Amino acid sequence: MTIKADYQTEIDRIRAATGCDIIALALVETAENQYVLKWQYASGNLNDRFKRLVLKSGRGVAGLVFKTGKPFLLASISEFVDKENLFNYPIVTMEKLTSVGALPLYHDGRVAGVLLGGFRESQQMTEELMSRLLEMSESGIGDLDGKI
Amino acid sequence: MERSDAEVMPIKNDQLSAMMMKMYENSTEAIFFFDKEGTALALNPAAEKIVDGEALKQLIQGAEKAICQACRGYTSEKDLHTCLNCYLSSSQPDDFSSFQVYLETKNLGVVPYAATFHTIDSENGIRVFMLRNLSKQFKTQEKLYQNTMMKDVIKAQENERIRISRELHDGVAQELLSALVDIRVIKYMTSEEEVLKKMKQTEATMTRLLDDIRSLSVELRPAALDDLGLEAAFRSHFKRIQQSYGLNVEFTSNISKNRYGSEIETVIYRVCQEAILNSIKYAQVDVVKVNLSEQEHTLHLIVQDEGIGFVYGDKPIGTGLGLFGMRERSEIVFGDFKVSSVIGKGTKVLLNVPVGDFPKEG
Repeated sequence: MTIKADYQTEIDRIRAATGCDIIALALVETAENQYVLKWQYASGNLNDRFKRLVLKSGRGVAGLVFKTGKPFLLASISEFVDKENLFNYPIVTMEKLTSVGALPLYHDGRVAGVLLGGFRESQQMTEELMSRLLEMSESGIGDLDGKI
Repeated sequence: MERSDAEVMPIKNDQLSAMMMKMYENSTEAIFFFDKEGTALALNPAAEKIVDGEALKQLIQGAEKAICQACRGYTSEKDLHTCLNCYLSSSQPDDFSSFQVYLETKNLGVVPYAATFHTIDSENGIRVFMLRNLSKQFKTQEKLYQNTMMKDVIKAQENERIRISRELHDGVAQELLSALVDIRVIKYMTSEEEVLKKMKQTEATMTRLLDDIRSLSVELRPAALDDLGLEAAFRSHFKRIQQSYGLNVEFTSNISKNRYGSEIETVIYRVCQEAILNSIKYAQVDVVKVNLSEQEHTLHLIVQDEGIGFVYGDKPIGTGLGLFGMRERSEIVFGDFKVSSVIGKGTKVLLNVPVGDFPKEG
């Protein structure tokens, strides 16, 4: 990845196309940064606090998607997560989201990132919208080829 | 000697019998008198109070062995409730100078009593049976037992955590690290593009795995706490809190590299950890203040947030075990644990632990 792809423009475009309140993109960092997974780009976000999070495989929205390599839909967060367990999903609380969907971004047959779409009103993220996001991711985002 | 005692306290026979009557009437101890057949001769008001209707009637009427209606057995060496070798008819009455008996009572169900049963008039075979309610003492004992039990459980858990944490850090993580070094070496042994790409992926996966194992080890029990002390352990813990939950911890401390007994350090660390986790879970804040200071041989820990607060004693949102656990842990090191919270203003957790008299370790 010599030329940094313009991820910001791409996710702005995706947000406009899907009508999501927020689109966020988590990518694996470089070797110098221990290959950790972090939210690196966002569109429609309230603030940048969640970009400081270091995402752990298997924990939280991005962690689950990164670990399983499967899309993850939470149409209504309050129905799925108890209030006292919400702290395990920091991006949800920080960005005041009520409905999210996240999917893996593949590169070279591996999960290289996570794309999250979210709403601040319940039940907005649907299966249909998820498959549209999936289509976009499969055609490749930025430097990621989308190949499984 | 006896003479002078009698002079100091001259008690006349009628005075004594008046006092005995008063004791019989007003004592909280239940008193029964039995003849040699085991028939009740008399029972005091305290005894009447505890024995239930039908049994009481029979006792008053002097029915034979009426007490058996209420008695649910006594505690012997072999059984909690037994009628074997009953105190009423035992051939060795000396054995019943002090024992425990269960009675069916009027309102409280079956209650344990401390009992004595002895002969006061051997000529006529009259015996007295006295009972003191034990349930309060039992509760005290149970509480004590629970407390010691809890402390042992906490200690055992902590030791097990240390063991697994060390195993992960010194064993698993070390092995993985050397495998990772090997992979880095292999990268320089080939110029094939495909292989290099695959190697790089593997390296990334293993680096993250190593990181996961290390944080697992630290979460179980931070090695820094044993090796470097509270302040260092706190600083790295707060950094991880920030990375995982996005919560900023404003930490101030005046203890620098001071070391305390490992038990004290563990308690301070765990209580702080729990208090911060509570703030994360319930307070809806993004900043928590932690202060750690030593003053006059006391270590003070303050964890404070400006969150939504709660009402002490309300039904907890979580399990409610967190506060309980913190208090239990504090008691292990004779610490003074306090929580104050105001709705809308925030919550403050205070822990004071005496450190002066303890040998310093590390």
